[in-house]
Amino acid sequence: MSEQALPIEAFHHHDEEGTRLGFWLFLFTELLLFGAFFIIYSVYRSSYLGDFKLAAESLNTTIGTVNTIILLSSSLTMVLSLDAIKRGASGLSKTFLLFTIALGTAFLVIKGFEWAAKFDHHLFLQTSNGIAAGKGSPLLNPGAEMLPPGQVLFFGLYFIMTGIHALHIIIGAVWMLIVYAWTARGSINKDNYGVLERCGLYWHLVDVIWIFLFPLYYLVA
Amino acid sequence: MTTQEQSQSARTPIIVFSALIFLTITTVLLSGLDVGDTGAIIVAMSIATIKALLVLTFFMHLNHEPLIFKLFVALAFVTLLTLFLLTFSDYSFRGM
Repeated sequence: MSEQALPIEAFHHHDEEGTRLGFWLFLFTELLLFGAFFIIYSVYRSSYLGDFKLAAESLNTTIGTVNTIILLSSSLTMVLSLDAIKRGASGLSKTFLLFTIALGTAFLVIKGFEWAAKFDHHLFLQTSNGIAAGKGSPLLNPGAEMLPPGQVLFFGLYFIMTGIHALHIIIGAVWMLIVYAWTARGSINKDNYGVLERCGLYWHLVDVIWIFLFPLYYLVA
Repeated sequence: MTTQEQSQSARTPIIVFSALIFLTITTVLLSGLDVGDTGAIIVAMSIATIKALLVLTFFMHLNHEPLIFKLFVALAFVTLLTLFLLTFSDYSFRGM
């Protein structure tokens, strides 16, 4: 039979390009997930323009800019990590991976402080009909003043969108730790770096999402 | 691989990164200008789109991918744009 004449490798063929294309398809679902939130943001922004601009002023542009630069830097170190493994420099690749994880963590820590400040100003989970949670909220302090509905929507969207984004940063960082371990034990190497490549694509997509989140929340006040 | 080639492979990412930082600072500085609300959104979103294209092209290596990858990415963004246009074709005319 003719198929017996084929070399055994033919049956273990791994289609790297097809895998990558499949991963891009997954990234498109991520794009639509965030895309839906961007549509909601746009609609409510057009309905409550004044409230959105007022609420956006309470976000610190400097912190947002620093976090943007941190995330862009982490994308650079991720590219350099992939570049290093392609050249067979797995030690260098691991170092750049650690830098990327460190920068991602720095982003989360800064985000955490930013969120904590908002919690303290009871801007978390407020709704226009008086249901609210968080320290000092009107629910716990009946005398406290409610935010106007437009600002409630702004902060609700702010926490959900940056929250889901932060979740992606956490997933990306955990994935990078796994990639680090696999590189250390040699299963990710010069000839087999698809996992690192896809991890990188994921990380860059999270960066692309932030590139749009940043101006919408920190700049157009 | 020679040192020359190694330094060249790192050159493109560093140039792209510098451009991204430059655009970030530019968009922050421009946000201080008073160009009206629509103007501010257009400026901020245009710069964000350029930054996203830089990341997609050079960091996500779309420039080295076959045409089918680029078509898929374009289709994904066109789909998202269609959703925006359909939503606003409704919302823009509510309550008129």
